[in-house]
Amino acid sequence: MNLLESVRVALEGIMTSKLRSFLTTLGIVIGIAAVIAVVAIGQGGRAVLMAEMEKIGTNIFAIYVDWRSDKKVTGREFNLSDVAVIKDKVPDITHLSPVNNSLCDVRGPKDQKTGRVIGVSSDYFYIRKFNMKEGHFFTEEDDAGKRRVAVLDEELAGQVFGRAEALGSIITLNSTPFLVVGILAKSESALGFSENPGVYVPIQAWQVMFNSQVQELEGSAASKEKVDEAMGQAVKVLERRHQTPGKYAGMSMEQEMQAANKITGIMTLIIGAIAGISLFVGGIGVMNIMLVSVTERTREIGIRMALGARRRDILVQFLIESIMLCLLGGIIGMALGAGGAYLIAKLAKWPPLVSWWTALLAFAFSAAIGVVFGLLPANKAARLNPIEALRRE
Amino acid sequence: MIKVKNLGKIYKAGAHPVVALADVDLTVKPGEFVSVMGPSGSGKSTLMNLLGCLDILTSGSYLLDGMEVSGMSETELAQVRKLKIGFVFQAFNLLPRMSAIRNVELPMIYAGVAPRERARRAAEALEKVGLAQRMSHRPGELSGGQIQRVSIARALVNNPAVILADEPTGNLDTRSGEEIMAIFQELNRGGATIVLVTHEREIALHTSRIVHFRDGRLVEDEPVAAPLDAREHISAAVPVGQAGSNIESGGEFGR
Ligand SMILES: Nc1ncnc2c1ncn2[C@@H]1O[C@H](COP(=O)(O)OP(=O)(O)OP(=O)(O)O)[C@@H](O)[C@H]1O
Ligand SMILES: [Mg+2]
Repeated sequence: MNLLESVRVALEGIMTSKLRSFLTTLGIVIGIAAVIAVVAIGQGGRAVLMAEMEKIGTNIFAIYVDWRSDKKVTGREFNLSDVAVIKDKVPDITHLSPVNNSLCDVRGPKDQKTGRVIGVSSDYFYIRKFNMKEGHFFTEEDDAGKRRVAVLDEELAGQVFGRAEALGSIITLNSTPFLVVGILAKSESALGFSENPGVYVPIQAWQVMFNSQVQELEGSAASKEKVDEAMGQAVKVLERRHQTPGKYAGMSMEQEMQAANKITGIMTLIIGAIAGISLFVGGIGVMNIMLVSVTERTREIGIRMALGARRRDILVQFLIESIMLCLLGGIIGMALGAGGAYLIAKLAKWPPLVSWWTALLAFAFSAAIGVVFGLLPANKAARLNPIEALRRE
Repeated sequence: MIKVKNLGKIYKAGAHPVVALADVDLTVKPGEFVSVMGPSGSGKSTLMNLLGCLDILTSGSYLLDGMEVSGMSETELAQVRKLKIGFVFQAFNLLPRMSAIRNVELPMIYAGVAPRERARRAAEALEKVGLAQRMSHRPGELSGGQIQRVSIARALVNNPAVILADEPTGNLDTRSGEEIMAIFQELNRGGATIVLVTHEREIALHTSRIVHFRDGRLVEDEPVAAPLDAREHISAAVPVGQAGSNIESGGEFGR
């Protein structure tokens, strides 16, 4: 008996009891669907995250006080002249800005909000590649003159000004009046959080309001390839100037992307493994029902043997039946999983990612489950004695 | 066709071995129609299982169509079953979920006959037993007599060297039994070698020779001088014109 015949005989076996066959393979359906969906969602999420980070800029970096360092934090780790010196000594750094953050009371004509006040230099505009909706970002002169000018993000401007014209108007930050010179355009983020929280003011004006510290530095390098090297040099300059080796740490977007990549990869793997366990359970389900089926079909097996089927023919028949059952479940599961992933991706506005290799892997995997969990029942069937099998009711 | 010498079969079930057959010498010539009779437990089914290569003999030798069967491996026995033997069972043993024609195709699947050729030969065999109109019916939709005719079609479809029938009429009424015997007789006239087990002397008298078994031994070999012709019985039992009512038109029987 050739393979094609075996497949046909097995298909007849499956089709004679459709509902039971479907229920048998339900575990496989669910297992494969879960694996496919989890991997697709994981990959889609990762792709979105990467695109998002790439949009922010792959050539940017931040330098901050290393929290793992055992040295005491004095608040004097950075100062404004550091920025100028680093830019001078590291030519691959195109822009560099101090970044200070604080919460404060933001009051406009319409409403009052607690917002983030971020003190930066004019370079920050180029580092973050901001888009202006109205007006302009503050200039180097604004900063040097400690002018009280502010750039609001669109959301905050809407909240504190309402319909009133914000540009050219006055807001107060902790009761200090600032002139609004620019509104940042809202950046479309698929991840759902805004990149422009709050209000940007010149670093020196910020220092007048709060304190004279510089919290950290952000900068951009000439290219993504040069960013890690340039950042390292900047850290060295800082260590030399402040005589504090090991106190600073840098993180480039490149490194952050790698880390994020690794984390999403591990998450996908873990959840995928859990889904994989459900596949295993599904395989045991198939084996169970196949064992029952062999018992029920003992007489059929006896008849086939009397008509000339070898033990091998019987073994192959049941093995193929189990493989086809699992493949059937695999295909249904794949469709369900891909459909589910597509739906979730659509809701989350992610690109739906069902890669051909996941599909192929799921296909191969369900076939393998069919073989592994079909062997025991098929072997049981093939070992039957024809006379005893024929006598069985 | 069949040449059995000193055939013995001992079942080792439990503490006491059961001697089911002992010292059986039996020769069946090509084209012979032999019936086997004997009381219950005399070893008739055991003999059929051995002749049909379903079971392994304990002692003696068995030549089937010139081949020594004793000592063959299970795979070889399966090969012999598929090419040389056609079985007809008392319990019919059709696959209930398959149509008549698929059931008849079954032995050809294992013999590796191509699908189209298979369908043609299966249809031909069903026609031969008068079931041309019932090919796509499942066993559940057929009468006992019709079911047994399907299984005869299945037994003859691979052109076996010998057809073995263990009480083929045992589950049928007299009338259907006669029809089955008519088919066997027709096949035998066409050259088929048939060995048939029966409890009824009436049935056995349709064959050309009766071998009697008792306690696992062949005790008497009785030739039948003038075998009964089942066709006459069928036409005698019912008024003329209805003779073929139970047998579908297109068959060669019951006309
Ligand atoms: N598998 C077996 N294990 C043990 N003993 C068996 C087995 N099969 C048959 N026997 C015994 O062998 C003997 C012959 O049985 P067999 O079935 O051949 O009788 P039979 O002539 O066909 O009877 P019947 O007319 O009732 O069908 C009986 O004593 C039976 O109990
Ligand atoms: Mg018997």
